[in-house]
Amino acid sequence: MMKNTYRNQLKNRLAKIVFLLVIIFLSTNISVLAQDKLGVIGNAKGVPTAMSEKELKTVMKGEKQRWGDGTKIVIALMKTNTPIGQNTSKRIYNMTGDELNRFWLALVFQGKTSAPTFFNSMNELESFVAQTPGAIGIVQHTSSNEGKLIAVDGKKDL
Amino acid sequence: MLSNISPYFMKKQIRMLWFAILISITYTSEMMAQITNTQIKGFVDVLGSYQKEKGSFSLGEQDLFITSDLSDRVSFLGESVFKYSATSPTLFDVSIERIILKYNYKGNHNFLAGKHHTPLNYWNDTYHHGRVFFPTIFRPLMFNSGIIPLHTTGVSLQGLNLGKLKFGYDIMVGNGLGSNDVLDNNIYKSITAAFHIKPIDGLRIGASYYRDILSSNALSTHLHGGTVNQLSKSLTQELMTGSVAYFKGKYEFLSEGTIAINNTDSTGRAQSAIMYAYAGYRVKDKYIPYVRFDWSEFARNEIYFLKDNTTSYLIGFRYQINYLAVVKFEYEHSKSARAGMVDKYTAQFAIGF
Repeated sequence: MMKNTYRNQLKNRLAKIVFLLVIIFLSTNISVLAQDKLGVIGNAKGVPTAMSEKELKTVMKGEKQRWGDGTKIVIALMKTNTPIGQNTSKRIYNMTGDELNRFWLALVFQGKTSAPTFFNSMNELESFVAQTPGAIGIVQHTSSNEGKLIAVDGKKDL
Repeated sequence: MLSNISPYFMKKQIRMLWFAILISITYTSEMMAQITNTQIKGFVDVLGSYQKEKGSFSLGEQDLFITSDLSDRVSFLGESVFKYSATSPTLFDVSIERIILKYNYKGNHNFLAGKHHTPLNYWNDTYHHGRVFFPTIFRPLMFNSGIIPLHTTGVSLQGLNLGKLKFGYDIMVGNGLGSNDVLDNNIYKSITAAFHIKPIDGLRIGASYYRDILSSNALSTHLHGGTVNQLSKSLTQELMTGSVAYFKGKYEFLSEGTIAINNTDSTGRAQSAIMYAYAGYRVKDKYIPYVRFDWSEFARNEIYFLKDNTTSYLIGFRYQINYLAVVKFEYEHSKSARAGMVDKYTAQFAIGF
């Protein structure tokens, strides 16, 4: 009788520990996924409020010089040595950070496009995009900037 | 009144004034750089080579380039090169390689004026003097044989990434061969028409046409590393070029070919051809072994180009340290009408800054 009670208590404790571990594991992964999510922000002038992923990539690769209303496209990116910059290189450009730097240096050197502006912090990038007509930038998707994000293929995260 | 001010006080005031001027100049320059999005970059390379039982170290070029967005539609690009020159009193020359003023008049369409790298070829229009971008140590033979007019001073219309095929064009009118950067040597202008498409990511297919009428006694100042004969009669030159480039993931391929037709009343039509093919394979992220083949054949009745039929094979290895630094090693075996058979080993360390 005593043995059974002890076994049941042990089982209950183990079940609680496993449950807690599962919760911790899931919450860690959910927060990592949330950190991984990117969003697109744009200045009120020129930048559309929604676009397709194909159009976004065309713009971000410097293949388009002006928005539909004629405003010059200005690209804002996080530096490739930041986690968001690395994530942007991978998700948007399908490149490593080093390849992205080389890609832009080559394009600018050829005189084909203007260099993007790179930032160390998301606040600086957001402030630049807000103040620069035609500016578009890639940021980390957070609950606080959800309202400012441009829909890409109908979704606010990338 | 002034006599009451002590010399010490005057000196202090002057020092403070200079300090204020210095601060305001620095601040204004920084502000202007921010407003105009001005960027200054550079490239430089050093080499070591072994040929005919002799080893040598050498300096390559120091290339400085500046880009600046002057307004919403006007931008500037300047490229200057400092390089060794045996004929210069200082043994170094400075040359203006590109000065381009660009006006974006609509969408992806631009008007350009200044000194350009003639947009005839992929290599000439892509790598310019940035050795860190070159897939091999040196330019292909095509750009050292006097055939390609590397520079043109003039005006052009340019379109980029148009439509689904990412169509691009360059239509250029400029001072022709034999002229210089400030004056044309005859009444004829050179005409360049170049078109390309980029149907899939990494692939670019292009074709171009160049036409110029050269006066007698014209020496070309628009060519680099290539020597041409001095003309005793006027000549009409036409160049037709095709190029295919694929750089994506592990694979690198680039091939270009030019047919050059020089026509005079007395010697008739002389047709020469030149080409190269490059292939590289990215074994790992930073390691790229590669090969290149160069070939040229000149017409027997050619009077302008030096008739130096050449075949060259090259094998090399590129170590991409990062996007601003690269090391390359090459072995080249070439056979030409003038120099005969030559074996050469070269190493290069090229950087951007």
